[in-house]
Amino acid sequence: MSVGAWTKKLLQAALFYEIWDAMKVTFKHMFHRPITFQYPREQRTIPDGHRGALGLLRYEDGRERCVGCDLCEAACPSRCIKVISHEDPERPLQRYAAEFYIDITKCVFCGYCVEACPVNALAMTKMYEYSTHDKRTLLFDKKRLYEIGERHLEDAKKYLYAHNQEKNSDESREYRYYFPQSVLKPTQSQPKHLS
Amino acid sequence: MGLKPATNPDVEAATIELSIDGRTVAAKDGVSLYDVIASTGKIIPAMCYHYTFDPFGSCGMCLVMQEGKKAPVRSCTAKAASGMVVRTEGDDLFAARKKAVEKHLSVHPLDCPVCDADGHCELQDMAFQHGVTNLANAKQKFIPEDTRSLVLDFNMNRCIACAECINVCKDVLMIDALQFMKKGGFNQVVPKGDQPLACEFCGDCLAVCPVGAITNKYSKYLYKPWQMKKTTTTCNYCGDGCQMYLETKDTEVVRVTSPLSWKNKWGDRAETSKGHGGICVRGRFGFQYIDSEQRLRQPLVRQNDSLTETPWLDTMQTVIDRLSDIHRKHGPESIAGLITARCTNEELYLFQKLMRAGFRTNQLDSSARYGHLNYVHAVRHAVGIGRPLNDWEDLTKAKAVLVIGSNITETNPLTSVRIKEAIRVYKAQVIVVDSANTNIAQLASHPLLVKPGTEGLLIDGLVKSVIEQDLIDEPSTGRHPQAFAALKQALDQVSLEQVSARTGIAVEQIREAAAIFAEAPRAIALCAEGIVRRPNGYHNVLKLIDLAWITGKLGQPGCGVTTVTEEINEQGAVDMGVAPEFLPGQARFDDPIARERFGKAWDVTLPAIGSGANLLEILARIRSGQIKALYVIGENPVATLPASLEAKGTLEKLQLLIVQDPFLTETAEMAHIVLPAATYAEKDGTFTNLEGKVLRVRQALDQVGESLPDWHIMTALANGLGYEWHYESAQDVQDEIMKLLPGYYNLGQPRRITPSADAYLSNGYTTEVATRYRIQPTESSSEAARPFTLVTGQLLYHSGKLSTRASGLINIEPNSARLRMNPADLQRLGLNEQTTIRMTSPHGSVQLGVRIDPDVLPGCCFYPEHFNEPPVKDLMTVEVDSVTGVPYFKSTGVKIEKVGG
Repeated sequence: MSVGAWTKKLLQAALFYEIWDAMKVTFKHMFHRPITFQYPREQRTIPDGHRGALGLLRYEDGRERCVGCDLCEAACPSRCIKVISHEDPERPLQRYAAEFYIDITKCVFCGYCVEACPVNALAMTKMYEYSTHDKRTLLFDKKRLYEIGERHLEDAKKYLYAHNQEKNSDESREYRYYFPQSVLKPTQSQPKHLS
Repeated sequence: MGLKPATNPDVEAATIELSIDGRTVAAKDGVSLYDVIASTGKIIPAMCYHYTFDPFGSCGMCLVMQEGKKAPVRSCTAKAASGMVVRTEGDDLFAARKKAVEKHLSVHPLDCPVCDADGHCELQDMAFQHGVTNLANAKQKFIPEDTRSLVLDFNMNRCIACAECINVCKDVLMIDALQFMKKGGFNQVVPKGDQPLACEFCGDCLAVCPVGAITNKYSKYLYKPWQMKKTTTTCNYCGDGCQMYLETKDTEVVRVTSPLSWKNKWGDRAETSKGHGGICVRGRFGFQYIDSEQRLRQPLVRQNDSLTETPWLDTMQTVIDRLSDIHRKHGPESIAGLITARCTNEELYLFQKLMRAGFRTNQLDSSARYGHLNYVHAVRHAVGIGRPLNDWEDLTKAKAVLVIGSNITETNPLTSVRIKEAIRVYKAQVIVVDSANTNIAQLASHPLLVKPGTEGLLIDGLVKSVIEQDLIDEPSTGRHPQAFAALKQALDQVSLEQVSARTGIAVEQIREAAAIFAEAPRAIALCAEGIVRRPNGYHNVLKLIDLAWITGKLGQPGCGVTTVTEEINEQGAVDMGVAPEFLPGQARFDDPIARERFGKAWDVTLPAIGSGANLLEILARIRSGQIKALYVIGENPVATLPASLEAKGTLEKLQLLIVQDPFLTETAEMAHIVLPAATYAEKDGTFTNLEGKVLRVRQALDQVGESLPDWHIMTALANGLGYEWHYESAQDVQDEIMKLLPGYYNLGQPRRITPSADAYLSNGYTTEVATRYRIQPTESSSEAARPFTLVTGQLLYHSGKLSTRASGLINIEPNSARLRMNPADLQRLGLNEQTTIRMTSPHGSVQLGVRIDPDVLPGCCFYPEHFNEPPVKDLMTVEVDSVTGVPYFKSTGVKIEKVGG
């Protein structure tokens, strides 16, 4: 061992260098703002693209967007969606989802269902608090999904926009599908942009 | 006719050679180039092509480059010629095909999410395959949807005008119910005359539609193809035994589809002689009874005059206690059983085993007794084979078909398509003998509309006429000169003029029909309900066999005497020995060798010869008090037999009536114990169809409620009674049948046996034939009092009583309680569709409405046998065949008068 190294070791021992070195992080954090925040009294700001609970949406006039096409069910990798479609009893020839279930315990929040939806009826929201004492309530039915969609409408719209799915409204209206009318009884008026 | 088929049994087309993508290919002259390319295994996209009809050439997808032509040509409408050099692949062709897809898509609504064909759509596949992502100048048609028809909706926005629906309807089914019509600036498919669809509702147009332009009303919007489980099974309505796909979602049947579809468009036209893969209205739209609300879900036991739901264990204990009690007190002769021919072969086998080896009684019968046994007994007696002698291929390729007493389009729609193909493709001459202007009579070259009840008499005329015109096949008759002399002598009593006067058919027409039948190289006589379910059915089938014999049509390939059956497994019921006269495999019950074999296999002594009883004998023995307990599976004698047989009063005499049925039928309502049985969709097994093919039935659903398959219930019952059966599945029963009847299943293909009548003609034929051709004198007195002949029979839209539980079929054909009559008769009696009539026979009278049906002949009236409201069947007189014990109650003389003003 050389003289220099011996001197350094002696000096470090005399000045308790190891202890200071170990306490460095502690001292640094004494002057740092705390990262922990007081959930649930404080809420974190969530980005628009966040994948949270799924909700079903309506058009501005209150009609259900969902046409019961079942593409979300087909796209779902964890098979947590079940759609039962029917003809709308009040508006013949119009397909709608009579029942719609999402088993949120199975959901992996991949967002494929939202991407598959041709009418942007499904969207993900920033809602993630649905812990419960009863696991059965985690099978979201159609009513619950529409409630989520209504309560988190703004988040849902932001999600669709962030994921580049919702175009501006005029353009999207043109792309919208119009159900044919029956020969027997017309159930709707001619779309505006066509007449 | 257009480009196909290239060959038929009589003409072999010449072979040509052409080059496809540098490969030399041999083909038949005159076929479509597309078929030649498809036969090499190359698939060229085509949306308007289907092998069952002539190419139409509207989609523009099947483009190929032909050397010497500047532009691509449509291969489907091009005829393959010798020396052609053809290229089927290349970037230029891909681009041309892509253009064609874009052309179709530009006027197609992009409504795939709500379209029923989504995921099962050829246009979608083509757009994907050709990478069509952007469309310039797309527009929508905005045609209102045609929802007027009963079963189909036409959404012409989606139509690509491929005309597959029109072509299959016109060319394959010969119904011609659809047409193109220019409306709103677009060519649209509309029902004929732009009226609500009125056709056979077979739904084959729906099957071949490559897009979602034609949709099924009963399952519209209820599914996406990927959500459903698809089970290949056999239809359980008529004896055709069509293969079909039962598509189910969880516990409900969503729709039924057929092997015929745009998805399997590549084939050889010659293959359609075995069936084109379509199904009829009953199969496609009559599935709702399977998961109907009316299904029995729990066993019922009678307590204090009402049926109460009881758990299975308690019910079975009651059944076993009461059955063993009766068995102990009154012996095996006090128990009898009836089973329907809609059960599987395995269940029919188990049923007769339960009766014979369990209860040791030979008092059992099936619904084959209502007519099919007449045919079976006759052909077994004459040629030694107890099944129809011809299959669908024979019928298709026949040169002459004599359809006698069969409204085949309504009873067996798919067998009738075989005859239609014989007419259309193979140019057969069809003689139809019937007392109604049926659909097949309208298509036939020689319709002979006889007076009701004289179908059998016309056979006399035909046989006589063959002999008179010397159309005899010398080699056949020469081998049995004595028999032929006896036949000639028997026919001395018959004169053509007399036959002509009684049947209403001119002598010339009888001669012509006889000549056509005798001179055709392949001729088939097909008889059905008008022969086997009418008086003298057995003898009339034997007369047909005489006709076939003297014209040399017995034992020749493609010739014979055949029949069709009403219920799917009537043939199976006979083969499994569910008749007092037969053991399984149609061994005679009194045959000592067979008795020993089955006795050994079942480890019992079989019931004594002569102790057996068929349907009517069972009823008689119940009346006499000998039979105390009756086990009925799926049969409904109360609703089937006329009141004069007193089925209801008879069954009330029983100490124990056990009914096992999916529904609470009229008979079940009287029962002491009702056991809920599963339908064919909920069990495994096999059916034997009218060709003798053994077809698999597969389980598509879990059993509804607590119902169980019949074999399961019977096994449980047998074990409870201490017979120790070890069947755990239908397969176990099948294994036993395979051991006892080697070769019965034979991979579904019946073994070909050449029928030979030598033994029959050389032994006892002379005495037998002497009385066969005796013309009964007419009962002129009764004819004057009851001038109309009431006929009950089947409708196209129904099968037995089962189909009346299917809401889809009831929607098409509800019980209208109207008698069908000829307009001339209505006018003569001063009736119209609003009046009520009273119809009287010696057995009573009923009041009902009338309906104009020009296809019913004057002097006749028709009522569908599926409906008992009003009880028209109770007017019928019952006659019993002395040889086969078949009860005849399908026609009678009636008086019709107007009620009120």
